[in-house]
Amino acid sequence: MNPPNQGHDRDHAHGHDHLHAETGLSGRPGYYDIMETAVRELLVERQLIGPDEIRRQIELLDSRTPALGAKVVARAWVDPAFRARLLADGRKACEELGISFYDDTQLIVLENTDKVHNLIVCTLCSCYPRPVLGLPPDWYKLKPYRSRAVSEPRAVLAEFGTIIPDDVEIRVSDSTAMVRYLVLPKRPEGTEDYSEEQLAALVTRDTMIGVVPASVEQGKAPQ
Amino acid sequence: MTQTENLVKRLPNDIGGLPAEPIRRVDHELEPWEKRCHALADVLDYHKIINTEEKRCGVEALGAEMVGKLNYYERWIVAFANILFRKGILTPDTLARKMAEVEARWTAGNQSESGDITPS
Repeated sequence: MNPPNQGHDRDHAHGHDHLHAETGLSGRPGYYDIMETAVRELLVERQLIGPDEIRRQIELLDSRTPALGAKVVARAWVDPAFRARLLADGRKACEELGISFYDDTQLIVLENTDKVHNLIVCTLCSCYPRPVLGLPPDWYKLKPYRSRAVSEPRAVLAEFGTIIPDDVEIRVSDSTAMVRYLVLPKRPEGTEDYSEEQLAALVTRDTMIGVVPASVEQGKAPQ
Repeated sequence: MTQTENLVKRLPNDIGGLPAEPIRRVDHELEPWEKRCHALADVLDYHKIINTEEKRCGVEALGAEMVGKLNYYERWIVAFANILFRKGILTPDTLARKMAEVEARWTAGNQSESGDITPS
């Protein structure tokens, strides 16, 4: 084991130096890697999980990306009836577009308007609308965002380059194991002639977390 | 406020609203074992062996030191093991033996592989 850094600073390093130090050049599996394999094999041996289930779940996880959420947002922008259904029951409306929910979670879609800007967080851990966005980025799971999003959202947004006018209310929604949120960003101005597909290209992961607005310039930004 | 009082009022996961440093927009591609660990979490939830909330509590139950020092998926797999022990599904001994077996298998496989490519 390499020596851990202190406290939350340790979190910042996770997944980089630490994991590489663990796996090493030899490719020798680390302690936790071995533990994962052992737990999985024991559960399969006891027939508590099927031998192919993990592989199938990995395929499912790989199939979920922010492109799905972008499709939902673009549809809501062009189809007011769909938008109304999406705001009434996020999960059901996503399922309408063929996006299956592989867990028991409910989805609440929060609409940004001229008066309200929404931001999502999970202060306790890393709950996230995974069926429509895939897995969350590391920063979403780390202490600075989880701690500060609820107490100083304007400062947090500013760190993402997002300045929200003072007369716009900021609402921060804290996710739980059962209830997940997705931000429906405002449709950028000057996109009246855009096709649904062109609109979807403007909708990045971060716009649906609520840390940046959707914009013609920000579309296609690295996810 | 004393330090222990703070420990009582705030469990390790309960960090909403605390002061913290600026956000660094870090991310990384999951290691293969991390992705397997995530898939395992989902599958355990499907079968109601360990649901999402039990997993979160299991991570919290690791205590502040482990929560601070283990990384994200390390916390998950250790929490799963502990919960499976508590539910009587696995025992620490069974897991330890299986881990030794997995490691021995890797070592054996690796030795035979490197044997193949060693120039004579």
